[in-house]
Amino acid sequence: MELETFYDRLDLPRDATSDEIRHAYREMVRRFHPDRNINPGETELFMGVQEAFEILTDPDRKADYDSNLPSWAIKSDPIIVSTIYSQKTLTNVPEPQLIYLLLNLGIRPEEVNTERPPLNLCLVLDCSTSMQGARLDSVKSTAIELIRQLQDKDIFSIVKFNDRAEVVLPANRRIDNQNAELRIQLLQTGGGTEIFQGLDFGMREVRTFWNTKQINHIILITDGRTYGDEENCLQLADQAQSLHVGISALGIGNKWNDSFLDTLTAKTGGSSGYIIKGEDIRQFTIEKVVGLAHIYADQVTFHFETPPEVSLSYAFRLHPDITPLGTSSPLVMGAVPYESSQTLLLEFLVKSIPAISEEVVLAQGRLSYLVPGHLEKISYIQRLVLKRPISEDFDSSPPPAAIMHAMSRLILYRMQEKARADMARGNVKDANRRLQYLATHLLAQGQRDLAKSVLSEVAHIQNNKSFSEDGEKRIKYGTRSLLLPPGIEEILR
Amino acid sequence: MIECPVCSHKEFTGALFCQECGAKLIGISGLTTQTIRVKVTPPVPELQAEQAINNTPAPPVDVAIYLHILDTGDVVPLEGTGEFTMGRSTEGYPFLPDIDLAPYSALENGVSRLHTSINLGIPQALVTDIGSANGTWLNGLKLSPNSPSPIKHGDILTLGKLKIQLLIRR
Repeated sequence: MELETFYDRLDLPRDATSDEIRHAYREMVRRFHPDRNINPGETELFMGVQEAFEILTDPDRKADYDSNLPSWAIKSDPIIVSTIYSQKTLTNVPEPQLIYLLLNLGIRPEEVNTERPPLNLCLVLDCSTSMQGARLDSVKSTAIELIRQLQDKDIFSIVKFNDRAEVVLPANRRIDNQNAELRIQLLQTGGGTEIFQGLDFGMREVRTFWNTKQINHIILITDGRTYGDEENCLQLADQAQSLHVGISALGIGNKWNDSFLDTLTAKTGGSSGYIIKGEDIRQFTIEKVVGLAHIYADQVTFHFETPPEVSLSYAFRLHPDITPLGTSSPLVMGAVPYESSQTLLLEFLVKSIPAISEEVVLAQGRLSYLVPGHLEKISYIQRLVLKRPISEDFDSSPPPAAIMHAMSRLILYRMQEKARADMARGNVKDANRRLQYLATHLLAQGQRDLAKSVLSEVAHIQNNKSFSEDGEKRIKYGTRSLLLPPGIEEILR
Repeated sequence: MIECPVCSHKEFTGALFCQECGAKLIGISGLTTQTIRVKVTPPVPELQAEQAINNTPAPPVDVAIYLHILDTGDVVPLEGTGEFTMGRSTEGYPFLPDIDLAPYSALENGVSRLHTSINLGIPQALVTDIGSANGTWLNGLKLSPNSPSPIKHGDILTLGKLKIQLLIRR
């Protein structure tokens, strides 16, 4: 059983005010009151909440409780948040304005030595007919290589699916290599692609040894489009997120549904990747697993509120695993790696400046996350307030180079997004004009191959009034890969 | 609201890039396509390329760099700092170079739409062939595409067959 304080029970930081305690309690009552709850264990959860509430709202007992908190509970927050804004101030003008923010989550230096948590990993493999040949061969050799690289503490499982799913390798530690390799070699293709079947079995395997002291993750490898079970898949992703299980997806070739898998994986803090050739499966998968093995804080989530005049209009994760994020609370931010940090780019639209105030709160709330490598306290909650002062004059100093650098690449990805949105509305002319602008910028940045892909897509759209499945993904993941730190682009080529 | 200098799309105050065409909206002076006034200075009569090399006009004093088009004798000033792309504009084509050489028989001389870029960097100005069809030469030596070479006052750039002398003030 994980150690928790009364504050943790109410999902609150340790310096919560009495108003916040009351508010959090009411939330919990709504969710877990014995008259309302449905899931087993929630009544016990509610009793714990009730106990915490009674003590924390009694000033004497709270003071007594606070002064007796054990050492693990009063350590400072292990994650350090730093921010870079595009402008020092918001301007007091009677019109909407935008402000950009690079949000950086690093870890406290002494935390670098935290022990690496074990992995609880399930590979969910599409074995539909279209995977036959080089694709499946590459998947097989990748799976075998992964098993050889596992450590004794890691838990691993493999699920295959087509129209139905089947456990190839049940979740276990210290897998018998020979037996596992034999089973992998016997994988055969046939049938269609029903992703929900695969994910459902994958979740079961991950849940066999599930706990929060490890990195629980599903890697889905598919080359097809799932029909009719998208809704089930998204529900399963919500469930995975509530259990702190991440889902990543790798799409091969041009038939799979990238928008769907982006939505699915983003719900859990994961991401999707695109490869053209079967041979690239190995590199992507191994890099993904290495990334998982270097997670310090997992399932970072920002529960936030914005004042009525402010909205989060765009959110994008630049590192690790570049991917667009949702813009509503909670913002599922994903993982913070040991060696580097997590970086997000956020765009806030401030519709008006409130009268008689000196600053605007862009978003405030609590950042929650797990540190699976910690022995005592694993889940953390810390406060996060994003705000800017108001000035009378426009801040004309140039925006920080880091923001300009990120935005100069992100704008290309967003132009691609908009071109796709144009096409979805049947607006061929706008989409084409946007793609031509995009090609110009790509040429100016020296991305000649990608620019060529964009221009050939322009021609394709003119002739067919639709994107080619191949070009659409090539441009999307190509512009996305421009945001990668140098040296990694090759994976996506 | 601010207006994009390239496509006139309206953006919210605080926007860094135009959502419509991707143009940078910060520090835009010097990075936009400039209208070049033809015959800014009186043409230098009967000046041949070979002579020009020997009779290099004195470096100008008011702007950083001039392009001396040897065939026509026109002198085109580059205003501002930073990077300028050179090429030729074509109607109905979205690529616009910063320096449009179309008025100087660029098409006949084999200049690409985006041909060469000049970077007025400090301490060294650089020229880069940005993937032109017919190549760029610096003082008769062909440049390999996308690798910058330093330039100095009096250098002759050849874009396709169009010869341009660089007049740089330092």
